[in-house]
Amino acid sequence: MDSSRQDKVRKFEEFVDKRLKPDLIHAINQRDKVFEQQKVFADLRRNIESLEKNSVTSLRTLVNLGSEVYLQAEVPDTQRIFVDVGFGFHVEFTWSEALNYIEKREEKITRQIQEYTQLIASIKAQIKLVCEGIRELLQLPAEKSVPERIF
Amino acid sequence: MEESVKKGTVTSLASLFPVEEAQKAAKRVEEAIADKHSELDCVRGFIADNNNLVNLVHKLPEELSHDIMVPFGKAAFFPGRLIHTNEFLVLLGEGYYAERTSKQTVDILQRRGKSLDSQVDSLEANIKDLEAEASFFNATASQVAEGLVEIREDYVEKDFNEGESESGQLQQDAPKLGNAAPNDGEYARMLAIMDELEKEELAAQSGDHSDENDDSTGDFDEMSYQGHINNNLQNLKDFRQSALLDQTNNKIKTAELPEKQYGKDVADQLNFASLGVQSTVRESEKLLGSIYPSEKIPVSSKEKPAQSTMTSKTEVEHETAKPSFDSRKAFTGSIIEHAENIERSSREHISASSQGSGSQSSKPVSRFKMQRR
Repeated sequence: MDSSRQDKVRKFEEFVDKRLKPDLIHAINQRDKVFEQQKVFADLRRNIESLEKNSVTSLRTLVNLGSEVYLQAEVPDTQRIFVDVGFGFHVEFTWSEALNYIEKREEKITRQIQEYTQLIASIKAQIKLVCEGIRELLQLPAEKSVPERIF
Repeated sequence: MEESVKKGTVTSLASLFPVEEAQKAAKRVEEAIADKHSELDCVRGFIADNNNLVNLVHKLPEELSHDIMVPFGKAAFFPGRLIHTNEFLVLLGEGYYAERTSKQTVDILQRRGKSLDSQVDSLEANIKDLEAEASFFNATASQVAEGLVEIREDYVEKDFNEGESESGQLQQDAPKLGNAAPNDGEYARMLAIMDELEKEELAAQSGDHSDENDDSTGDFDEMSYQGHINNNLQNLKDFRQSALLDQTNNKIKTAELPEKQYGKDVADQLNFASLGVQSTVRESEKLLGSIYPSEKIPVSSKEKPAQSTMTSKTEVEHETAKPSFDSRKAFTGSIIEHAENIERSSREHISASSQGSGSQSSKPVSRFKMQRR
């Protein structure tokens, strides 16, 4: 009886440590990546909007060659822009098309972020659940910890 | 077995370093090695990037412009071209940029490459150290597993000398008579002093071969010592040879030792002096001198009750004990060319003690001191 309970407790703990916690870390990392993408597209949208506002037709910029070595570059025509649409494909857009695409992309990214947030929450809930299960198996008093959290 | 219990301790290595601890330490060191390896790979990647960049910077000015896709943020490009291909803007650090030509940029990049190389070198040295450490821990773990024990025994010099004196006693048994008993302790102490002197000499000679320096420092010490003992000594600057002569004459006059042997010693010393082998003479003097101050008081107090006939006896005892000296020397592996000196000095020491027993209070002492100058 006692040994089987011990076994169960150990299994639960292993489940938490080896399954749920790595899952949680993975989900958080994924969400961080999506956050980064969101930032990239927000920047791009702002830049295109500023180009539009200033009606820039040609552009001079500095290109990073790596190791913080820059070289001047010239863009003769800013009307056409190539935007990364994923999987290494770049699509040639005009400004308005690009803004349209970016808007849709941002919507999708927000959705992804929400999904990941929910996933993270559910994983956290599962961890909590299993921990409570372990506590019940060990017959530790729950009332003691609850008031501590309230205070 | 009893001796080991008395003198030394036996500790099993397992009690000092448990097996698990040693293995844990080895594992930790191995983790550190893995960390360093990944760091090394990272730095190597930087070096490869740097080399590529050097090539690129080298090639770019060959043409006036290059058609490229100009990045616009991280997710977009404009079709464009590179212009002013010999004007690079290089980050110097802390947000400062410098405009450089292609050649200057290559120089900067090569300097960066050198610092990266030194980083790689230090990392590799680090890894080597850690690997040595890991192998040491592993060896320790295996030794502990085998049940190795550490035996630690303190080196007691006193025991050594006691053993020596015992052997000397055995040899002396035949010639020893009833009234020679107080001489035993004396003899043992003398042997101890001789041992010390021998060691000193060995250390001085093995340390550096310039005997002159050691002698001179010894002389200074002795000089200061003698200064407060013999106030009446004015002629410190006398020549060594004259001092020697004086001393030997004195000895011949006062001591009742076999004259033949003494004459030989004197002849030896004079020979040395006249040949100009001053260092050896000085050494013997040093030996004499360092025996003297420590021995002077006990010798005089102990020998005074003894009769003057006893001096010959001590001489005999000393002669018989000589083999033990030789064995000592063989044991320590001392240098043979000083055998004469040591023997002579010991002999002279005896004679000096006999002098003390005779009638003089402190005069012969001063003679010896003077000679050392």
